[in-house]
Amino acid sequence: MGAACSRKRDQLDNVDGFDRGVSGRYCKSGSSKWLATTFSRPVLEIQREKKKCPSLLELCTHKIREDIDNYVSFSTLPRDLSQQIFNELVKSQRLTDVSLEAFRDCALQDLYLGDYPGVNENWMDVISSQGSSLLSLDLSGSDVSDPGLIYLKDCVNLQDLNLNYCDQISDRGLKHISGLSNLRSLTFRRNSAITAQGMAALSGLVNLMKLDLEKCPGIHGGLIHIKGLTKLESLSIKWCNCITDADMKPLSGLTNLKSLQISCSKVTDFGITYLKGLQNLSVLNLEGCPVTASCFDTLSVLVSLLFLNLSRCNLSDDGCEKLSKLGNLKVLNLGFNDISDACLIHLKGLTNLESLNLDSCRIGDNGLVHLTGLQNLKCLELSDTEVGSNGLRYLSGLCKLESINLSFTVVSDGGLRELSGLTSLKSLNLDARQITDAGLAALTSLTGLTHLDLFGARITDSGTSHLRNLKNLRSLEICGGGLTDAGVKNIKDLSSLSLLNLSQNCNLTDKTLEMISGLTGLISLNVSNSRVTSAGLRHLKPLKNLRSLTLEACKVTANDIRRLQSAGLPNLVNFRPE
Amino acid sequence: MKRKDTVKLISTDEMEFVIDKDAAMVSQTIRNMLTSPGPIDNWVFLGGFAETELGEVTFPEISAVILEKICQYFYWALQYSRGKETEFHIEPELTLELMMAANYLHT
Repeated sequence: MGAACSRKRDQLDNVDGFDRGVSGRYCKSGSSKWLATTFSRPVLEIQREKKKCPSLLELCTHKIREDIDNYVSFSTLPRDLSQQIFNELVKSQRLTDVSLEAFRDCALQDLYLGDYPGVNENWMDVISSQGSSLLSLDLSGSDVSDPGLIYLKDCVNLQDLNLNYCDQISDRGLKHISGLSNLRSLTFRRNSAITAQGMAALSGLVNLMKLDLEKCPGIHGGLIHIKGLTKLESLSIKWCNCITDADMKPLSGLTNLKSLQISCSKVTDFGITYLKGLQNLSVLNLEGCPVTASCFDTLSVLVSLLFLNLSRCNLSDDGCEKLSKLGNLKVLNLGFNDISDACLIHLKGLTNLESLNLDSCRIGDNGLVHLTGLQNLKCLELSDTEVGSNGLRYLSGLCKLESINLSFTVVSDGGLRELSGLTSLKSLNLDARQITDAGLAALTSLTGLTHLDLFGARITDSGTSHLRNLKNLRSLEICGGGLTDAGVKNIKDLSSLSLLNLSQNCNLTDKTLEMISGLTGLISLNVSNSRVTSAGLRHLKPLKNLRSLTLEACKVTANDIRRLQSAGLPNLVNFRPE
Repeated sequence: MKRKDTVKLISTDEMEFVIDKDAAMVSQTIRNMLTSPGPIDNWVFLGGFAETELGEVTFPEISAVILEKICQYFYWALQYSRGKETEFHIEPELTLELMMAANYLHT
């Protein structure tokens, strides 16, 4: 993935486990079910490029970018301008260790070099010359090693430091940042060299609000050193499978914690009892932890708790009546547990729930009756359950529902009319073989739909006529094999589409490409396994926003696509065959 | 053209540029001055001597060669917004100074 995708200052803010970090993914070649493991389907947030007059400031920045080798120093420029030039160079990947020299002593505040190619020790001197001005530094994925962090001693005002995926940094490097007491956010994901001993360096970072040690397998016993960091609001130690109940004890006094992620650790019900006093905790991720229903006793005293992820915890119906104590919850993930309809009865009182994930649980139609009172539900994940058409009637009154996933269920055409009144629906996943054209007829009233996944459904040309009024569709997948060019006629006027997947329909020809040439908002297009040929590619020239094009198993070569790219699709960054 | 539809921009080396008000308003800074209810204060704030009625603005920090380029940009931007998307050429030796002026003018 290009560096430009990971340059946001707030990139640590997303609540992992409750959304899917799929930024930068414009294309999927398979069914959506297997893309990720937790909540709701990936929502492709796409901003169409608007033709806006570039400001003179932008034009100057671009000009400097083009001539960057001619500039020796930007230190005479006001800081906001040198910052703007720096950001532009990073974005366009024009910054090198040579051009970096021009930014010496520029008093820059933000250096976002995460995943930037070539960043190493030699960059640290210019970085440290920003001195007390530097507030935020992202070196994730770089080759900077322990001695390189000595340079940061002068950057006493540093607030955010990102050292994710820096394989060369160990306990010794941590020591060098132990004096940066203004740090508010520190992140060290996937570092196998950090141990409990090294974490002693963190004890002086008294202003730390956010600490991320995801995938650090050697930190068992080290959390004792963050015991005094009482300003801490967010702590992630997920995927640290060394973490045990004993590691929870030092957290018991961190009463400002709002978010705690300990998924895939060894923490049990006993460890959870240490969290009783965390009265501000609103997000708790226990995915894959060996906890049982007994931990609900502790969780029920956490008055601020809104988001709870219990997926893959091996929960059974045993003791799950205690779920009814969690009435404040807005988001609950129970996916991939061994729970049945008998458990759902205890969700009846959780009327604040806005999102419920029951993916791959042993639930069926009779369980859904207990959800009828969950009137605030916006998102319901029922993928891979035994839910069938008879269960859908219990959903027909949940009028706030915006997203339902019914993929790999036994729901068939007859049940879909129960959904026809859910006009708030924006996202509907019906990726299941038994869904056919007849089912689509029940969906015509759902004009608010922006995402419709019919990946494996057996849709033919006549079925697509029911899609004509779904003018708000931004993503559509019909890959069941039954579509021909004639059916694409009904799709060609869905002008909001930015993602279109028509792969596996082996009868589609170049005519399809011609028909969709008016869908100029398309960002991702997949017509793999069809009879499309290189001769048809010319029809794609108007699709100026296209970033991803997949034409596997067609009579199209990588060179054909490259020619198309250089002939007029500059935004195309991702294509197959490649 | 009526005089009130134009505005006179004066560089630090006292070169005068008379341009359409529409063009000058491409600059957010100049637009604020021309549409603000109490323009006098703004003129003073800018450090110029111009009077409102005359529609003159003096830029004590901007040289003639830069101000000329800025005026060219104003007209280029007007054309751009009307659909004529051409390239705007910037001489390399002017770029840094032009950038500072553009920043000041919110342009």
